[in-house]
Amino acid sequence: MFYQQLANALALGAVYSLFAIGFTLIFGVMEIITLAHGAVFMVGAFAGYTAATKFGLGIIPCLIISMAASGFIGFVLDLVAIRPLRKKKFHHLAPMIATIGCATIITSIYQGIFGAEAYRFPFDFVPNENYEFRGIQLTQLQLTIIFTSFILMIMMIFFLNKTKWGKAVRAVAENSRTGALLGIPVERVYQFTMIISSSFGGAAGVLTGLNFNTIHTFMGGPILHRGIAVIILGGMGDIRGAMAGGLILGFAEVLSVAYISSDFRDAVSFGLLFLILLIRPSGIFGKKIERKG
Amino acid sequence: MKLPIRKIFSIFAVSIIACIIGCGKTDYLAEGIKIGVAEALTGPIAKYGVPIKNGFTLAAEEINAAGGINGKKINLVVDDEQGKKEEAINVFKKFIHKDKVLAIFGPTLSNSAFAADPTANAAKTVVFGTSNTADGITAIGPYVFRNSITESDILPEVVKMAKNKLNLKKVAMMYGNDDAFTKSGYDIFKKAVGAEKLQVVATETFAKGDIDFSAQLTKIKNLNPDAIICSALVEEAANIVLQARKLGIPANIHFIGGNGFNSPKLAEIAGNASEGIINGSPWFLGDPNKKNVAFIAAYKKKYGSEPDQFAAQAYDALYIMTEALKTLKFTGSLEDARTELRDALAKVKNFDGVGGNFSFSENRDAVQKARVLIVKNKKFTIYSE
Amino acid sequence: MSDFLISFWQTYNTLFYTIFIHGMLGLSIYLTLACGLLSLGNAAFMGIGAYTSALLTMKAGFPFGISLIAGGILPSMVALAIGIPTLRLSGVYLAMATLGFGEVVRVVLLNMEITGGSMGINGIPQKTELWHLVLIMGIIIFFFIRLRDSKYGRAMEAINEDEVASSVMGIRTTYFKVWTFTAGAFIAGVAGGLNAHFTYFISPREYGFEPAVDILTFAILGGTKTFWGPIAGSAILTVLPEMMRFMGPYRLAVNGIILLLVVLYLPNGIVSRGTFISLKKLFSERKSNA
Repeated sequence: MFYQQLANALALGAVYSLFAIGFTLIFGVMEIITLAHGAVFMVGAFAGYTAATKFGLGIIPCLIISMAASGFIGFVLDLVAIRPLRKKKFHHLAPMIATIGCATIITSIYQGIFGAEAYRFPFDFVPNENYEFRGIQLTQLQLTIIFTSFILMIMMIFFLNKTKWGKAVRAVAENSRTGALLGIPVERVYQFTMIISSSFGGAAGVLTGLNFNTIHTFMGGPILHRGIAVIILGGMGDIRGAMAGGLILGFAEVLSVAYISSDFRDAVSFGLLFLILLIRPSGIFGKKIERKG
Repeated sequence: MKLPIRKIFSIFAVSIIACIIGCGKTDYLAEGIKIGVAEALTGPIAKYGVPIKNGFTLAAEEINAAGGINGKKINLVVDDEQGKKEEAINVFKKFIHKDKVLAIFGPTLSNSAFAADPTANAAKTVVFGTSNTADGITAIGPYVFRNSITESDILPEVVKMAKNKLNLKKVAMMYGNDDAFTKSGYDIFKKAVGAEKLQVVATETFAKGDIDFSAQLTKIKNLNPDAIICSALVEEAANIVLQARKLGIPANIHFIGGNGFNSPKLAEIAGNASEGIINGSPWFLGDPNKKNVAFIAAYKKKYGSEPDQFAAQAYDALYIMTEALKTLKFTGSLEDARTELRDALAKVKNFDGVGGNFSFSENRDAVQKARVLIVKNKKFTIYSE
Repeated sequence: MSDFLISFWQTYNTLFYTIFIHGMLGLSIYLTLACGLLSLGNAAFMGIGAYTSALLTMKAGFPFGISLIAGGILPSMVALAIGIPTLRLSGVYLAMATLGFGEVVRVVLLNMEITGGSMGINGIPQKTELWHLVLIMGIIIFFFIRLRDSKYGRAMEAINEDEVASSVMGIRTTYFKVWTFTAGAFIAGVAGGLNAHFTYFISPREYGFEPAVDILTFAILGGTKTFWGPIAGSAILTVLPEMMRFMGPYRLAVNGIILLLVVLYLPNGIVSRGTFISLKKLFSERKSNA
């Protein structure tokens, strides 16, 4: 049973990680918690669903379409709600409140289109095969999800470390003023960060919708809540931290159900977060915060 | 920079004027027989509120097309309560004092009913719940009615029949512990399981909106129960069943579900995994009685989808209300008419609706015969002896 | 006209009550924000207060006043206990720790016997009256006015501007932070108790993540320069959905659009210099049009 639970935790944690890396990147670069990331996740899931049911596309094209759709939403979010508030003299929480407004608008529109009920991907979308390995049941779907999540995350790390644009993003995250002095088009980097982070959120939406057979207008709520926990756990703005944080939350949730009590699952995972923050005030992987003069 | 601010101001102004104009109505029959419908139409609870509203709208259209009630048309005043208690109270007060409705249907959740129904009861206005199943709703006062059959009437029969037919000895239980509907279903299941002397090997919980149940199901799988008793709303229920089969829990371990399972969504989401689910309800989609067949056809034609239990109960509720309204004379004031309606409604007996024969008990709860159902070929059919 | 007023009051009295409750919640988070602390635990403190006072009136038969005060004291004691270790966290980390704490409170309320779990507590007697709300709000506002010009108020302002500098100046920063956190919890708890005693019913899901964010929205939308900001923000955000009823299914979308527009055009909140400037522009434009 233990190994089966570990496999369950891995599939759950992989999606949390995928959701959180975009989320944390936005914070790292722009110092904003965008509470519309859950809505972006939902948009991605619906885009994938529409591509699969209306046009009968396979999983890879569906993922690409959903990443494009949610990336576009990210672009619009930046244009409408975040960019106008990018001046320093405003209240630093104003962009966050603006994203709450955007999330409400997006979910309302989607509720208008799709209603409030749940949808699912077609039954034979991913071949329904079970693999048994030492008593651990793994479906092809779960393997696909774990595999896809990790490929996407590795691509993100590669991009940030090896490409010119990726390096620009990291430079701006480190210090936007220095970045600007070095000739980096900071505004473009911000825009780009929103697009790429949102598209990762959308991909997480498709994979979640696939794995758990439910796509509905309000699916962004619970994951947003957990996403915040994950990025804090991993240290704000830290990509590898978010990956590890997602897996840790996945494991904490599954193992607390397996060995403590499902009644207290959320109390255990959030209580754990609370305790970790007391011991390490900047998260597990967070660097010590230095005060900016 | 200037335009939107002006727009905001004008929106404010318009809505204030609209509100003031709305307050001036006096003659309560001028626009037909007004009945308030307070349901969750936006937000996460809307998936229950919208079918309910559809059921009412369909029934009202049919009744009005057939000439109304003694020549008077039914006028449904529909408003959104978002599944939040303060909103429900606000809508109820608006219905009672501003719209001057004769009676109110709703709210969607039992939680909201506990907060809003006392308001209606204090104002001596009938409030008729079609989806509130929690214990103690009708105990709020003499003006509170419901036709949603409480699960305490259904579930013990379901458990008893399943035990006898499947020779159950030990069961596992699962329920959503942060929701009044699923929690009260679980409490009743627990009692029934105790009465049938079944051994409970595990009790697992989850939260509303959860999507991954594999941790709980893995634990259950290792304890080898004969059946899994599950109190969940339909989205979670479908997922639980589906994930259980994926984890290798064999199909001969049946799921026994509460009221929440009774929806066309179950088979739609769970597909073949839904085979063999056992459930109990007065109404089900495949019931061949004439009224039900006509209702389902009309509903499909109007809304393009199959009705669920919530829509069916709402549809029946308006017809039950109509039975009472037919006997009213409307000679006195609005207050008199509201009280007369209460007394007339309490007398409704042997009403024949889409869910079969219906009467109110002396506590204004539903008296209706439940049937035990099983999913065969992705459809609920009667689980016969 | 008096008929109209009576029917208006009958229809909207709960809405007015809710404005007061939300105003208190807005003020409770303003206290910590004024110290530069982003605490999202106020929904949980409200919940603790609501359950405490509801249980005391229902099970122990305490008079309303006493159970209300107890509903303020218990959350502030909890705040004291968790405040001392957590308040050294800064920014979003504190926000998250308090949110995590709120989640723990919600789950505990769900699993306790006496709180009725997810079924909540129903049949709470209706004791809250308008004059209670006006009186308590008056006391809180009086307290805030006095605070603004006192040693405490200036210390809070200094901590908000620069914590390190103010501690070097000899301000006991930890003391003030814990103090505001505790006082905020007291106000939230009392607001919870008042709320429980006019809505007949409470359940754990009213005190989770979303209400916590809503309370923050009251304060930020209203503006955090003075304590009038959160009051204005709460009033507007409470009345707005009710006014938008005529929008039907688009109600939530319109709410979102208005929230977005207000933040975009008045990013420092409604009670801020930006508003006066915009109003001035608006009226001068009217004149030039005429």
